[in-house]
Amino acid sequence: MKELFPAKQVMGFVFSLILTVIALLVYYTDMSFAVGMTILLVTAFIQAFLQLVVFMHAGESKEGTAIYTNILYGVIIAVVTVFGSLLILIWDM
Amino acid sequence: MKIDHAQPLEYSTDQNQLNILGFWIFLGAEIMLFATLFTAYFTLSHRTGSGPTPAEIFEITPVLIETFVLLTSSFTIGLGIHAMRLGRKNAMVSFFAITLLLGLVFLGVEVFEFMHYYHVGATYQTSAFTAALMTTLGTHGGHVTLGLFWGTFIIIQVIKRGLTPQTANKAFIFSLYWHFLDVVWIFIFSFIYLKGMM
Repeated sequence: MKELFPAKQVMGFVFSLILTVIALLVYYTDMSFAVGMTILLVTAFIQAFLQLVVFMHAGESKEGTAIYTNILYGVIIAVVTVFGSLLILIWDM
Repeated sequence: MKIDHAQPLEYSTDQNQLNILGFWIFLGAEIMLFATLFTAYFTLSHRTGSGPTPAEIFEITPVLIETFVLLTSSFTIGLGIHAMRLGRKNAMVSFFAITLLLGLVFLGVEVFEFMHYYHVGATYQTSAFTAALMTTLGTHGGHVTLGLFWGTFIIIQVIKRGLTPQTANKAFIFSLYWHFLDVVWIFIFSFIYLKGMM
């Protein structure tokens, strides 16, 4: 039975639970919007990275570099789309 | 077909490796799809018109259930792939079945959540905010729904054909899809719900 629960994945799961609880602090405690958003940005991106490496085995095949490059490209386009739009339409810069 | 026994089954042929790489490229496109939905949500979430604001309609309890259920399902499908690599077919099928059940619970709670929105007067046509919200949540929920069907067929195939390079490859690719949906949910949870309730 024990061999079905590898330490790496159990640790990954526990760590993602901890990150979720930390993110929940922004709801259950009083903090400024800026501090809250900083916490959320940090916990969300760490958790996404955790999923990628621990659960999705992104780096373990010989295509690891191509996979990471592709995902990084997707993330860059995503970040530019989101923040570029916010910059022009919401923050009025 | 050349089978490389030094690799796990799902990577054991050239075709399998290409399938996995191809699916990662698809996931890259999915990242961009959800980025456009998040963009629409972030730019429109203040346009509530005469309808409710995010803080007025979001409730923490269903969101908490959805989050922990999906997080756990991502863990159990990871265990399913681990069991598959050990050649433990029954354990793998059990973990996949648990994953799909958790997915079903997630969807059930999400349906309940949408009914709640309807009852408090937030429908698709109420405001730019509710339209962007429901398009984003709905696209994610639609992916989960598709995943439930896809995962069911994968389980049936593994039971009928056993663990072969083909079925292992399909199961692994499905696990990538499921983990990806969890990643998207982490961002929905953080930047739609928690941000809206802060």
